[in-house]
Amino acid sequence: MEISTNDYRVWTESSTIHYEGTMRLSGTDAYAPILEIMHAVLEAKPELITLDLTSLEFLNSSGINLLAKFTIEIRKQPEVGVRVLGSKSIPWQSKSLRNLQRLHPALELTIS
Amino acid sequence: MVEDFGETAASNGGDATRFCLTLMAEPLELSWHHCGVTSDFLGEYFSRSCGRSIDAVDARHSISYMINEILENAIKFRHGGDIEIRSSLEGETFEIQIVNRVDPDTADKFQAHLKGLLEREPGDLLLERIEENALNPDSSGSGLGLLTLMSDYGAKLGWSFASERVSEGLELTTYASLRLS
Repeated sequence: MEISTNDYRVWTESSTIHYEGTMRLSGTDAYAPILEIMHAVLEAKPELITLDLTSLEFLNSSGINLLAKFTIEIRKQPEVGVRVLGSKSIPWQSKSLRNLQRLHPALELTIS
Repeated sequence: MVEDFGETAASNGGDATRFCLTLMAEPLELSWHHCGVTSDFLGEYFSRSCGRSIDAVDARHSISYMINEILENAIKFRHGGDIEIRSSLEGETFEIQIVNRVDPDTADKFQAHLKGLLEREPGDLLLERIEENALNPDSSGSGLGLLTLMSDYGAKLGWSFASERVSEGLELTTYASLRLS
């Protein structure tokens, strides 16, 4: 599954969801198609879901809400683990991704 | 009448690097797209004016994120009219004031929201708001913009509502400052 625009691309490979580019969508409704792709991965109940954000240069607060909402949905399913991969060279990730871990302490966060 | 909330004092003085611009309502047809291009432009502009002690990559991102979030609010909630952006950098302090017009009803709702926002620790409020959003799939806005700025970026924010400066509604000035490092 894949959503691709001039600004960003989101695609899945098995239970890994990749994000790339700049996401500044206007709100919950605009992010709904992306949440749908993420839900499809969760519905298969894999042991581990990986969110690969290492190429996501910019995410606005509505997008942070999307990641947080999905983290809460995973939290409701203790048999599904989650790992978030970030990059030190992308400033928003070191500032905001730790909130996901505060929401779901079992979430594995690697920013390298 | 002027009503202030939060931190509305500007500290940058005469030696600051300044950049002001106005997004004209006509004929630009102001839209969501202008938030991103404007905030990226100003982030790039000021990151090139930073001193050597400041991480230019972090400065570019933080300035861009801050302006984008406040402009998104201005585009979403404005009651017609232009949006004015005044920005300045002096030493490690980056400041902006974003001015737009809002209608009285929007102003009332926003003021009530601000009172709640300023009473609590922003990190705690951020998590609470995220949990509330997850329970309300129908809510269209996340309400996380100002909270992430305060909690994740350490931004100082203030709002000034002036009722006599514009012929219709109120003039809202949003003040924001960041300490760059």
